Amino acid sequence: MRSRETLLIRWSTYAAALTIGAALWQLAAAHTNPAFLSSFTTTAARVVEYTMSGVLTDALASSLALFFTGFFFAIVFGVGIGLLLARVRLLRVALESYIMVLYATPMVALIPFILSMMGFGFVPKAVVVFLFAIFPILYNTVEGARSIKPELIEVARSFRSSEWAIWRDVLVPYTLPYALTGIRQGVGRGLVGMVAAEFFLSASGIGQLIMKSGQDFDIPGLYGAIIVITILGVVLISLGRALENRFAAWRGLER
Amino acid sequence: MSAPGIALEAKAGNGLRATVTSDGAIRVAAGVVILLVWEILVRIAAPPYVARPSRIIMVFPDVITSGPFWQAAGATLAAVFEGLAIAFVAGTVVGVAVGRLRLADRLLQLYISGLFAMPMVAILPLVSLWFGYTSAGRLATVVFAAFFSIVVNVADGARAVPPEFIEVSRSFRGSAWTRLIDVILPSSVPYLLAGLRLAAGRALIGAVVAEFFMSIEGLGFFILFQTRTFHHNEAFVAVALLAGAGVLFEFALRQSTARFLPWYRRGERGG
Repeated sequence: MRSRETLLIRWSTYAAALTIGAALWQLAAAHTNPAFLSSFTTTAARVVEYTMSGVLTDALASSLALFFTGFFFAIVFGVGIGLLLARVRLLRVALESYIMVLYATPMVALIPFILSMMGFGFVPKAVVVFLFAIFPILYNTVEGARSIKPELIEVARSFRSSEWAIWRDVLVPYTLPYALTGIRQGVGRGLVGMVAAEFFLSASGIGQLIMKSGQDFDIPGLYGAIIVITILGVVLISLGRALENRFAAWRGLER
Repeated sequence: MSAPGIALEAKAGNGLRATVTSDGAIRVAAGVVILLVWEILVRIAAPPYVARPSRIIMVFPDVITSGPFWQAAGATLAAVFEGLAIAFVAGTVVGVAVGRLRLADRLLQLYISGLFAMPMVAILPLVSLWFGYTSAGRLATVVFAAFFSIVVNVADGARAVPPEFIEVSRSFRGSAWTRLIDVILPSSVPYLLAGLRLAAGRALIGAVVAEFFMSIEGLGFFILFQTRTFHHNEAFVAVALLAGAGVLFEFALRQSTARFLPWYRRGERGG
């Protein structure tokens, strides 16, 4: 049923949903103490003002630099270690249960340790993003590693494949779709890490914008900044999902 | 229905017993190596207050026999459970509505996926504004953190109910209510469990960040306070407890999926 809907109808329902939402917000704000809820129009005006004055661009640039630094290393180490565990069974057996434990551990709990040991520069904040994002990537890559049938590597071996060929033709194609699922999950967690680092280590970027508005009781600024981070989250997670779907078909090969 | 699943598992277990024991030995050995590396690295390269295994074991009895630690643990875990319960009920209702009613889906989809994608830490200043620096603020954060993952998953589940089931129910003149209780909800259970698994992890994070931000009694605040006074080993016991809670949730929900819905897991793995 859904597939028959045209793009036009889909976008117009989105537009209608947004219009109704904005109208309800405006209505609710008119009946609420402005210390708790600013109206849609003042909030929108504030977002426009932030955009024009460059405050928003600076904050986003700073936050994204932090996010991508931590996330880059999370991908490199997560996928790298995951692939290594795919190849070396002993390492996988030895480490996978510990990886599972770290995957389920709320990494926020480590922020006070990082603050106390590393201070509050750029590096410790990137470490927070890294720690939040790496375990879903690693965990899913290892899951992919487990899905490789040992026979595949045996066959490759018996045809005298080089180590490089085994990696290129077996390990990477089989684990990549899982790694991308991990990367998609890691985007969400990494964003939480980014804001947590900006809140609890040293104020910067979009986190600082949110914090400062809250402290100054600048309600339109607070709602505006939260809307901006929500849009940022939606954009980054959609990117992750698009990447995941692009390679998801590869998973079908194994079944 | 679960009997064949158990039989299969038992059969597999017998054949693999030898490898299972040696795998267990490898795991234990790896754990020892990890602890040793940690201990040695900290002794060589880190300041003396940094947590290391030998010290953590030394302070462990003191911490777990202290009243404040258990009060903190109780406060945090109670908030997590309460928040999860609220999010579970509300999330299921909204999720089914979004999954089955086209109008609800069209109006809410955008907001639900937006709030699901939003890093939940960002609402802390707003929550503290609304609820003050109180445990109600923590509960609100936990509910917010958990709610949307349940909604998103239940909606997927309700959407994925095979149309034949609905048709059969219709042709036997089942009421809309029976259809909901006997068809839609049961077939959404695997999705619900998946959502709950995600929600439990997020709820723990929500509780801890709320305690950091609002300085409310709980494990998060315990960790913050102990590290600020350079009692890293004591703080680490609380981290271990949080990790234990995370693992327990993950394990319990996975086991219940495997126990009560064995077909789901097999389907997921592609046999």
